[in-house]
Amino acid sequence: MAERADARTWTNRCIFMALAFVIIVAQLVPLDMQPIGWAPPDLLLVITLVWVARKPHYLPVLVIGFLFLVADLLFQRPPGLWAALVVILTETIRRQNRDFRNMPLMVEWGTITIGIVAITLMNRLVLFMTMVPQAPLGLTLIQMIATIAIYPVIVLIAHFIFGVSRSAPGEIGSRGQRM
Amino acid sequence: MAKDKNSEDYIGPIRRLAVGLLVLVLFGIFLFWRIDSPRAERLRAEAIDKFVPSFEWAMAPINGVVNLISDFESYQQLRAQNQDLRRELQQMKAWKEAALQLEQENAKLLDLNNVSLDPQLTYVTGVVITDSGSPFRQSVLVNVGARDGIIDGWPTMDGIGLVGRIAGVGQNTSRVMLLTDTSSRIPVTIQPSGQKAILAGDNTLNPPLEFLEDTSMVRPGDRVVSSGDGGVFPADLLVGQVALGTDNRLRVRLAADYQRLEFLRVLRSQPHEDIPDPTDLLAPEAEFFGPAALTPSALTTSEVGDG
Repeated sequence: MAERADARTWTNRCIFMALAFVIIVAQLVPLDMQPIGWAPPDLLLVITLVWVARKPHYLPVLVIGFLFLVADLLFQRPPGLWAALVVILTETIRRQNRDFRNMPLMVEWGTITIGIVAITLMNRLVLFMTMVPQAPLGLTLIQMIATIAIYPVIVLIAHFIFGVSRSAPGEIGSRGQRM
Repeated sequence: MAKDKNSEDYIGPIRRLAVGLLVLVLFGIFLFWRIDSPRAERLRAEAIDKFVPSFEWAMAPINGVVNLISDFESYQQLRAQNQDLRRELQQMKAWKEAALQLEQENAKLLDLNNVSLDPQLTYVTGVVITDSGSPFRQSVLVNVGARDGIIDGWPTMDGIGLVGRIAGVGQNTSRVMLLTDTSSRIPVTIQPSGQKAILAGDNTLNPPLEFLEDTSMVRPGDRVVSSGDGGVFPADLLVGQVALGTDNRLRVRLAADYQRLEFLRVLRSQPHEDIPDPTDLLAPEAEFFGPAALTPSALTTSEVGDG
């Protein structure tokens, strides 16, 4: 896999890692310890999904697994479960990469929505089955909806600022590899 | 087209196997955490201990910008703030006078009654490094850990009131579970009625009081302090004030300033002396006490009756 990646791909991988790092750190900064009645969107999940839907080769699966495992550890979640679910979701999207290239944004958004709802429900189901104390349902739903709602915004940001857009049919990288 | 698809690296069977393995490993980690939670949490504390202090440099700019903005806001209200503070200072002076007099009176009375108080609690002060980073968990990470002799379960205060308890200790850092966390439960006493209750965190700023025996004896505005029950906390640490929530439940307005927790005091809480059976402690061997004619049974019954 490594010999197929050109310099641009590597740059973009680094940019993604830097972005993920910034998001994690920003969430950890102790600004206000008051509990808030709502939940902000899970930005880490959204950028991962946008990148995977648009340019899957910028985001190796090992990176996703590692990143979300670290996030699980840092954010006091049950380690491994959310990471595994995200890996499964991104792999599903990656496999449908060809379909995603021709989809209108609304259809893409709908597909992603189904994916996010599915892994959120799976997460709760597994936690329920293993009898782990769970976060309040309302808060989880708010976060899920916020995450879904922010998807198109992140798509635009990814397109215009980070240059992460769909590969055109027949597009090749600087080393002649398929995109 | 078929050849084209096969050449793509993300469809190869080896890759699929690797991904399956990755998912299995991740689920394995989850199961390990579920089965042996304490050990997994220790590993988590160690991982955070290694990882988090190393990127304080990245947090500094964010903190700086936010502080700048809040400072700027406070400059705008400088005059009003100044006046408020002056007025408050006047009131405080009167209170200080009253408190000094009461303290002297209290000392005299305690002396007259020959009361022995709890030894003074000593503390370690730490700086908050990070919060939990998720809206579902209310906890903070402080920069004191096993190196400083911190032990799981010790109470943590800011300058004024109780903030939470230590839950998870690493070498250089430890995690403080705040009173607002959904899994936080601490025994409290409500003054002046002396009612006992459990303060149960529910992810809101004002946690509700549970298991109150007689709600009619508790009024909004009553002081809530920790009770020494169950050996969880030392007694008489200020928690906050009773308030009536909008849902008509009795809640506690916490005394600690949760808006900006910066420095936390971890109290060195001495373990309670355990008294499983009062009679054993009073008369371990009867011949050491009093005349030999006194049998142990006679002694214990008289002591029990006394207690």
